[in-house]
Amino acid sequence: MPGSDPAPGARAEGAAAPYDAVPYDAVPGGAARGVTAQRVSRRFGSVQAVEYMDFHAPAGKVTALIGPNGAGKTTLLLMLASLLRPDAGTIRIDGFDPVREHAAVRRKVGWMPDTLGVWDSLSAREILTQMARFYRLPAEGRGQRVSRLLHAVRLDALADQPARALSRGQQQRLSLARALIHDPSVLLLDEPASGLDPGSRVELRNLLRQLAASGKAVVVSSHVLSELDEIADGAVFVNQGRTVKQQTLEEAAQEGRRYSVTALDGAALSARLHEFGLVFRAEGGRRPSVSLVLMDDDDAASLLKRLVESGVGVVSFAPTTGALEETYMTLDAER
Amino acid sequence: MSLVGDSPGTPTAGRRPAQAGNAVVGYFAGIRDVVVLEMKQRLRSRGWYIMLGIWFALIALVSWLTWASWNASQQFMREMPDTMMGEPSGPGSMIFEVVLAFVLLFGLLVAPALSANAVNGDRAGGTLAILQITLLTPGQILWGKFFAAWLVALAFLVTSTPFLVFGVMQGGMTPGHVLVSLLMLAVELAVVCGIGVGISALAGRPLFSIVVTYLTVAGLVVGTLIAFGLGTQLTQGTVLANNAQYPYLERQFPVPNTNGQPDHTCVGPLEEHVVYRTERVAWVLAMNPYVVVADAIPYPDRNVQGMHHHYPGMIESISQSSRYALAGPEHSYPCANGVPHPQYLGQTTPLWPLGLGLQLMLTGLLMWLGWRSLRTPAHRLARGTRIA
Repeated sequence: MPGSDPAPGARAEGAAAPYDAVPYDAVPGGAARGVTAQRVSRRFGSVQAVEYMDFHAPAGKVTALIGPNGAGKTTLLLMLASLLRPDAGTIRIDGFDPVREHAAVRRKVGWMPDTLGVWDSLSAREILTQMARFYRLPAEGRGQRVSRLLHAVRLDALADQPARALSRGQQQRLSLARALIHDPSVLLLDEPASGLDPGSRVELRNLLRQLAASGKAVVVSSHVLSELDEIADGAVFVNQGRTVKQQTLEEAAQEGRRYSVTALDGAALSARLHEFGLVFRAEGGRRPSVSLVLMDDDDAASLLKRLVESGVGVVSFAPTTGALEETYMTLDAER
Repeated sequence: MSLVGDSPGTPTAGRRPAQAGNAVVGYFAGIRDVVVLEMKQRLRSRGWYIMLGIWFALIALVSWLTWASWNASQQFMREMPDTMMGEPSGPGSMIFEVVLAFVLLFGLLVAPALSANAVNGDRAGGTLAILQITLLTPGQILWGKFFAAWLVALAFLVTSTPFLVFGVMQGGMTPGHVLVSLLMLAVELAVVCGIGVGISALAGRPLFSIVVTYLTVAGLVVGTLIAFGLGTQLTQGTVLANNAQYPYLERQFPVPNTNGQPDHTCVGPLEEHVVYRTERVAWVLAMNPYVVVADAIPYPDRNVQGMHHHYPGMIESISQSSRYALAGPEHSYPCANGVPHPQYLGQTTPLWPLGLGLQLMLTGLLMWLGWRSLRTPAHRLARGTRIA
């Protein structure tokens, strides 16, 4: 008979942390909360999708997984979500191994895929209810849980429409609610913001911050860097299947940021910057501007003050890129 | 909208002690949940009801045509009193047989469409991985898909029940016939659904798996006949027999009833006669769904009952000729080993358990392979497929 999976529920019994009355600290491996992957490799035929990748996403933080298309982000997330077996390396989700203890891992992981898989004849409410059943959540309170999640992703008005009537962004939000149905301690979100309108992006950002604040490890993969600046506490940069860099946002900020300055009189601006002894470069663009690297916010504030005081008509003074984008672009250049 | 501290509660699995009984209940509850999901997804499409309506209308048409043609032939017979044919047993058996054959044909045509994209359709739609990421096991997903496809196929069967009952009410059949044939039809639909679900878990693309499932069904229905016919040619052998002497001037058709006694005597020395040893390839024939259904439906033993000129129905003919093949020349060739055999074989060794067993083995193999491909974390992926 197919299907006698090696004791799906039995082994995870004592370890299903968020549901039992066991506090996190009492859970075996409680010290290693969050997501850790060490030297993980995965090959598809002749394509080495992921090669000796290291990854760490601590609990209570939002960690961005950043890399160009085809860098192995989705493959890594699938391995973290216990859907794909790594060829080599170790993964721990709150201390559990997705390969050997996948039942325990699945209770802890909420996964939002980059594809919108919806059962299009079912309503949003039915989809969430059905997912709650699949996670064997108790019948009592299931309805309230579903309603609360629908409210959280602003789908309560459309809750009883068939899912095919939802727009892409709405389906995206439904997908997020689906990943949250069993109150996972680890959230793996693959491109969660794609297809969302600006308002929904802000809401997503707030929701993710809130989830991280409640102690969940949140992993967000994206290549839209500007929005990650606002969400992420740390970032892991991957390219061509390898971890290129792992840094927190403070570290990224300490490497300095490039600012772009425009003035009414470009020549006066350049002269003044020479006077201050700063290295800058002239940028093309609709308006003549200069750009220069400043180490931190204090530097930026004092430079602006000095420019204004010296009589330069500063029109704009802003960071050209986000902190993460800055790192990303330098990595890109190295490649 | 705080989600913080918004605990979904203790899952039933976490609360209860690990008991074998509960694990079984939990396993079936998971299958039921998948079935519920599938049914909601399937039954809400309007096309399904249209198909059901067309099905009903078609079978009604076939039943009516059968009944009308029987009436016409009766009229013809009444005008010719010296008919050679014996009195048929009434329109009941004929309507029943035609409707049964038709329902089986349509069932075999519909079941692959209902089952053969169950898994890879979800894979293409991105919903399979969403099931796999939950606490459902691969077996629960696969069984859930299977039962959902089967239940929908059974709905078609239920729609055709009135016509089978109509056939019975026209006389000559018993409710037992309807029950046995419905049961066997349901089992055959289950076999096809199992094949479809298994193949859909193995194949990457829905179109491919649907085509392969149809080809497999065609192989069972037509291929087994061809294979049996060709295979028989390879089974030439000999049997020791002597000569049969008939008390009649020539052999008659229909076969005169001799109350189970052989209609001939065997005389002369035993010689080697060239025969086809059909019993060696009868298992191929046994896998045919029509043979399985026809052979499982009971009919009276014509050799025992002192019947008049007997007109065997289609079901009985299929059953007897396949049993004839199973018996082989040792039991069917006239005067094999010098023993006279009755012309009408009261072959009592049924073929359908063998055929059904082989079908279930095929289905089981495909379901098992499908189950292997659903296991996660996935080790191997089909070329060019993404898991989500």
